[in-house]
Amino acid sequence: MAGLALQHVEKTFGRTRVLHDVSLEAGDGEFVVLLGPSGCGKSTLLRIIAGLEPQTRGSVHIGGRCVDTLPPPDRDIAMVFQHYALYPHLTVRENLAFGLKMRREPKPVIEARIAETAALLEIHDLLGRKPRELSGGQQQRVAMGRAIVRKPTLFLFDEPLSNLDARLRASMRVELKKLHRRLGTTMVYVTHDQAEAMTLGHTIAVMNHGRIQQVGRPDRIYHEPGTPFVAGFIGNPPMNLFEGSYRLHQRDLEFRAGDLTIRVPFQAHDLVGADSGTATLGVRPEDVTFEPPESSHVAITGTIDLIENLGGDSVVYLIVKGQPLVARTSPALRQHPGDSITAYMKNFHLFINDNRVPLPSS
Amino acid sequence: MTNRPVLPGGILLAVLGSLCPFLWFVLTSLKSQIQVEAIPPTWWADGSLGFYTSALIEHRLLHYVRNSVIVAGATTVIALVVATPAAYALARLRLPRKAWILSVLLCVAMFPPIVIAGPVWQILERLGGLNTHWGLVLPYVSLTLPLAVWILATFFHELPFELEEAARIDGCTTWQALYRILLPLAAPGLFTTGILTFIYAWNEFFFALLILTDPERQTLPVGIALFQGEFIMPWGEIAAASVIATLPLIIVVLLFQRGIINGLSAGAVKG
Repeated sequence: MAGLALQHVEKTFGRTRVLHDVSLEAGDGEFVVLLGPSGCGKSTLLRIIAGLEPQTRGSVHIGGRCVDTLPPPDRDIAMVFQHYALYPHLTVRENLAFGLKMRREPKPVIEARIAETAALLEIHDLLGRKPRELSGGQQQRVAMGRAIVRKPTLFLFDEPLSNLDARLRASMRVELKKLHRRLGTTMVYVTHDQAEAMTLGHTIAVMNHGRIQQVGRPDRIYHEPGTPFVAGFIGNPPMNLFEGSYRLHQRDLEFRAGDLTIRVPFQAHDLVGADSGTATLGVRPEDVTFEPPESSHVAITGTIDLIENLGGDSVVYLIVKGQPLVARTSPALRQHPGDSITAYMKNFHLFINDNRVPLPSS
Repeated sequence: MTNRPVLPGGILLAVLGSLCPFLWFVLTSLKSQIQVEAIPPTWWADGSLGFYTSALIEHRLLHYVRNSVIVAGATTVIALVVATPAAYALARLRLPRKAWILSVLLCVAMFPPIVIAGPVWQILERLGGLNTHWGLVLPYVSLTLPLAVWILATFFHELPFELEEAARIDGCTTWQALYRILLPLAAPGLFTTGILTFIYAWNEFFFALLILTDPERQTLPVGIALFQGEFIMPWGEIAAASVIATLPLIIVVLLFQRGIINGLSAGAVKG
């Protein structure tokens, strides 16, 4: 049974279309992350799933039943909001109980559920307090508690960690993952943070401009990005992307962007329509090294513009034939900004008409 | 550092300035008839309560107090009950021409009362509302509503939208979300609006004079203004009556002020 299925969902506000034909499926118990920059429509999609916003077209199925005509409380979902949205005038206990009370659950059931949830999240001591007496991390826990206590079929998270500081965010991320393992409920999680998406998601749906760009497992999204957008959005620092033109030769492909020419090993196949045209070529900063490698690489000479030392490794900004190129290397570099250096690149990503074209692995 | 003594001085001046007429009335109310009429006026009051007994008994002041409580109380309750959903809708729902509606409301609030006095009188005459309490409450409500809606809309507007959505997901209807979640949080706004409406209705003179000609129904401002002595203007009684008329306002404001401060400090909503 599918935990969640979206079929051809569209949404327009006035004349602006914010979601284009979005279809997505999540298996029962799966953790799906909607990842994208702000304004890509991911939060709108989440609100449509919740029933807070009606879709213009398409349908939403939760736990196998169509919920298009159901108001939020009848969809059997719980949502954790970005700003927690705890009721400020109620204690933590009352906040947890509120949804159950509205559903007219008997008192003993409510008490038992609160005790269970408080134990799970270790928020026993906070039950008597008001939200304003809690720290950000504690408010976050209570907000999760308010969702868990209801035992819904589907959890919705709207950037729940974005208000926490970096350390707390990292530890909550781990806890959230453990929580999902214990509860085994389907979860949909909206974020613009790729690190959260990569660590939490079984499946990531990368969105941009109201469209799903790619759906897949985190490693697949990282290693085989389907579009230049996905390629540039995932990874830190982002992938180097060159806009230019290509020409097919017998055994390789010649790519030109300004004065930069790169010959990539290539075997012609039917995915490429024409022998020449415009294309985007990408290479991850991790795949740019400065030591002569054993295997086949493309070597290119450039000038060092800037070096960022991150402790363990450093990010090197180069200019090669007028084009910027970023490399991430682990050993400290002996060269300095202004020095000339040879960079070796492997694992190219080629996109023609914004679609990935497989290259033989180098 | 240099303007340090200036600020408290200014505050003192402002407080004294606004309190002065009131203090003079309090003094007058505690004088004897001879002291009231003394020329030059005396500062001293001998603390006689004669004017109070006379205002309360001979001029039946409590009867006017009762009328004012009914009219001001009803105006406040009705204005709040009507303004709350209106303000909520204007603050939260996707309505066409929202800004337009709000500016029209503001324009209505700016009308000088004299402009609508004639029509109001005629309408009430038709409806049989002259010389009734509801006949006064009706124009009071319509005159205070625009301001009430504006203040409440501002308060609703500042409450995070997520709270309501959380309430809806927790199973609330729009109305339940309004009175279970938003209203408790907008309490300071309700207090403020309530006080302003109450003070307006309590002090209003012009419409009260126009609509209520029957002394049985008149409110405090009209009643006091129409205090008549046989040969002299009863300044002492008027002063005593004014003090009595002002006390409930001071008490109400002090009570509500506490509510406002509590409400404001309780609004600790993240984000």
